[in-house]
Order: sequence, then C-alpha cells, then structure tokens
Amino acid sequence: MANLTREEVLKKAGLGESFDRADLRGLDLANAVLEGVDLRRADLEGANLEGARLRGANLRNASLREAYLTGADLRDVNLDKAELEGANLERAKLDGANLSRANLDGANLTGASLKNARLTNAQLQSANLGGADLTGVNLSHADLVEAYLGGAKLVGANLRNADLTSANLEEADLTEANADDAELGGADLKRARAKGASLVKANLTKANLVGADFTSADLRQANLTGSKLGANLTGARVAGVITAGASLEGIVADWVDDSRDGDGSRRVSGVAALSILSGKAPAPSVPPPPRGQAVRYFGQGDVLRNATLEFGEGIKVQIESRFEQCSIALGRGAELTVGKAGVLAQCRIEGAGNITLHGRFFERESPGIVGPGQLVVTSEGQLVGTVEQAPELTKFAFEPGCRLRMKILRARSEPDQVRTGKGKER
Amino acid sequence: MTESKQSEKRTLVEEGTELKGSLTSTCPVLVRGRVEGEVTAPALTVSPSGSVSGRAKVGELQAEGELSGEFDADVVQLSGKVQDRTVIRAKTLSVQLTAESGKLQVVFGECELAVGDPPPDAPDADAKT
Repeated sequence: MANLTREEVLKKAGLGESFDRADLRGLDLANAVLEGVDLRRADLEGANLEGARLRGANLRNASLREAYLTGADLRDVNLDKAELEGANLERAKLDGANLSRANLDGANLTGASLKNARLTNAQLQSANLGGADLTGVNLSHADLVEAYLGGAKLVGANLRNADLTSANLEEADLTEANADDAELGGADLKRARAKGASLVKANLTKANLVGADFTSADLRQANLTGSKLGANLTGARVAGVITAGASLEGIVADWVDDSRDGDGSRRVSGVAALSILSGKAPAPSVPPPPRGQAVRYFGQGDVLRNATLEFGEGIKVQIESRFEQCSIALGRGAELTVGKAGVLAQCRIEGAGNITLHGRFFERESPGIVGPGQLVVTSEGQLVGTVEQAPELTKFAFEPGCRLRMKILRARSEPDQVRTGKGKER
Repeated sequence: MTESKQSEKRTLVEEGTELKGSLTSTCPVLVRGRVEGEVTAPALTVSPSGSVSGRAKVGELQAEGELSGEFDADVVQLSGKVQDRTVIRAKTLSVQLTAESGKLQVVFGECELAVGDPPPDAPDADAKT
C-alpha cells in the first residue's frame, strides 16, 4: 500500500515537492488541494481523489487505475499516457487536460467536462461518457469502441479516424464535428444532432441514424451500407455516398448536394435526391461539369418564378427545375443546359450563349430566344417559340425525336444573305 | 429522267436541268438541278447543287441543297439552306450541329418548323405552326 500518509502528502505538496514515482495506492486524498503538483509516474491505483483539486498537476504516466475522481478538478492536467482504466471520473472537470494516449477503458466519465481536452489516440473502449461536455475535444484516432456517448456534447469535436464502432451516440450533439474517416459501424446515432458535421469517408455501416439531424453534413464517400437512414439529410453533401441495403424509412431530404467537391454546384431535390440516397439514382441527364468550371445548378423540384437571371461569359448553367416567366441573359460562350426534368415555361432567353435543350421551353412572347450562338434540341427536347438568330447566324442542331413548334427569324441587323439564297455560308 | 442504279429506280433531275410544274413519282426523287412546283414522292433527295422551291409531300426528305416553300415529310434530314418563308412539317427532324470546321450545317432563313407531336402542355402549339 501507500508509503505516505494523507498528511505527509499534503505537507509535501504544500512545500512544492515532487511525487515522481511515489506509491500513493489506495490513499484517501478526497478534497485534497494538489494543484500544479508533480505526480509523474505516481501510483494512485484505487486512491480516493473525490473532489480533489489537481488543476495543472502533472500526472504523466501516472497510474490511476480504479481511482475515485468524482467531481475532481483536473483542468489543464497532464495525463499523457496515464493509466485510468476503470477510474471513476463522474462529473470531473477535465477542461483543457492532456489525455493523449491515456488508457480510459471502462472509465466512468458521466457528466464530466472535457472542453477542448486532448484525447488523441486515447483508449476509451466501453467508457461511459454519457452527458459529458466534449465541446472542441480532440479525439482523433481515439479508440471508443462500444463507448457510451449518449447525450454527450461533441460540438466542433475532432473525431477524425476515431474508432466508434458500436458506440452509443444517441441524442449526442455532433454539430460541426469532424469525423472524417471515422469508424462508426453499428453505432447508435438515434436523434443525434450532427448539423454541419463532416463525415467524409466515414464508415457508418449498419449505423442507426433514425431521427438524427444531419442537415448540411458532409457525407461524401461515407459508407452507410445497411444503415437506418431515417435522418434529416437536407443540404447534406452526398457525392459518392454508399447506401446499399440502407433503410430510408423516415428520411427527410428536401435537397442534397451531389457535387464531387461539395461546393453546392449540383443541388438535387425531391425524388432525385432520394434516388441518390437510395443508391438507385439514374445516370444524370446533365453530366457533371468539369472541375473548376463556374457552374450554376438549379435542381429538380425547385420552382423559380418571375426571376431575371444574368450569366456571364463562360458560365455553365444547368437547369433541372421549373422556371416560370423568367428572363435569362447569357453572356457570350455561356452554356445553358435544360435537363430532361427542366421546364422553362413562358420564359425568354437572350444573348450569345449556347443552349442545349433536353427538357422543355415555351416562350412568353415572341421571340422567346434571341441571339443564341448555338441551339441544340435533343431527342427528348421540346421547344415552342420563336428564335431570332444571332447576327452571325445561329448554329442549330435537332435530334430525331425532338418536338418543335418553332419559327426561326434572322437577326434584326443581319445582312440580307439568306433571303436571296445567294448569301455566303458561314 | 428515271435512272436505275443497281436494283433501285430513282427519278433524277440532273444538274443544269430546271423543272417547273408538278412532279409525282412512285420512285424516290433525286434533285441535282432545280425544281419549281409540286413534288410528291416516297422520298426526295436534294443534292448540294440542287434546289426545290414550291410544295413537296414525301415520306423522306434528305436535303443538302436549298429548300423553299412547304415541305411535309415523315423523316427529314437537313444539311443545306432553308430559305425565307419556308415551312417544314415532319414527324422527325435531324440536323447535325457542325459540318466542316467553321461552316454551318444548315443555314436557316425565316422559316417555321413543326416537328413531332405537339408538346403536351403547349396551349398555343397549333398557333405556332
């Protein structure tokens, strides 16, 4: 057992002496004031430190196995590589503490405060962190297999590469947390709040997300195979997400971002969004744009009315939505693609851009399309309206199957080169 | 006027020939010269040197030359010139985007195209034709 009494410890601590490698096993140090004390490699196995004040103490490599630390003040302590297996840290204050590589397997941290603590590579298997405040904590590469984090506050936490296999995160707050590449297979995330969280390439196989809030979360390339995906995923970034065998019951996804870079350039709404999340998305009618190209995307299910839109040179515009009574101005070289689901009803397009129509266009007043450099109506495209050509003449292409009720006019300023049939071809 | 090429018979209006009036044929018609009037045939091909002005009612229309007037066809392939005041009605229309570099595949004058069934929710569709 300990080779020092409580009184001797308090006296030495008062004198600022070191307890390096001291044997303090089973000692009752409840409510002791040991702030800033050097306890490196000290053996405190089974010690009672309930309510003890250890702020700023150095407990590096110390053994606190099965120690009783309920309500202890451990703020800013150094517990690097400390042994805390089975320790009771209920309601302990560990804000700013360094617990890197510490062993906390089976430890009880219920209601503890670990704000901005450092737990990189820490061992927390089956630890109880229920209701703990882990705001801003760094748990990267930590082992949290089967840990209980129910109701824990993990706002802005770093969980990158952490192993949370079969962990319980029910009702946990993961807002803006980063769990990229984390292992969350079989994890319970029921009613968790993960708004804006990043889970890029995370493994969520067979995880339970029912009732969770993953709005605006980044789930690109995450693996959700066999998961219960009944969460709110509106605004989530989902490019490359794997959802084979996932249950979508209860899912909410008004729209998702399917762009490869998660930059919002490919908004997908309604049924199409659910198709992506179900892993049954058809090949997009509009191919994704090359990386780095300026793109404006209007997703399926959206309706835009009475809008005036201007798109400058070189911009790509992809419309899968319904536009009503809208005016669209295209700069030279701008590319407007109306996807198969896109409808431009009572609209007008003006400018020297290139137009590709897989969907439908109906003009508001004649001419509905003025001055396009190029107009392509594909096999599923439909156009009802008048096209006034560009002064240099518009390039037209029509695929078999397209449906047209159109008039073609020459540009108002065009030279009289076609009227006579003697004009010069361009 | 009718040429036989292997087993296929065609009615040919050769380059340098100008035909005014009505031409009705049970054979495909190939126009390398100029036709002014009415053409009725199962197929009408207008070569790059050819032109048809007037009315035509054919099954297939393949035009690389000039068209002017009213054309009714099931299948239309265009790669020439469509003059002012021309109406083309077809079940299907095919126009390629580009021919040679820098050249338009089709030069359209002021014309009307009615292709395929009327789009379903186009209330003014008929008025456009």
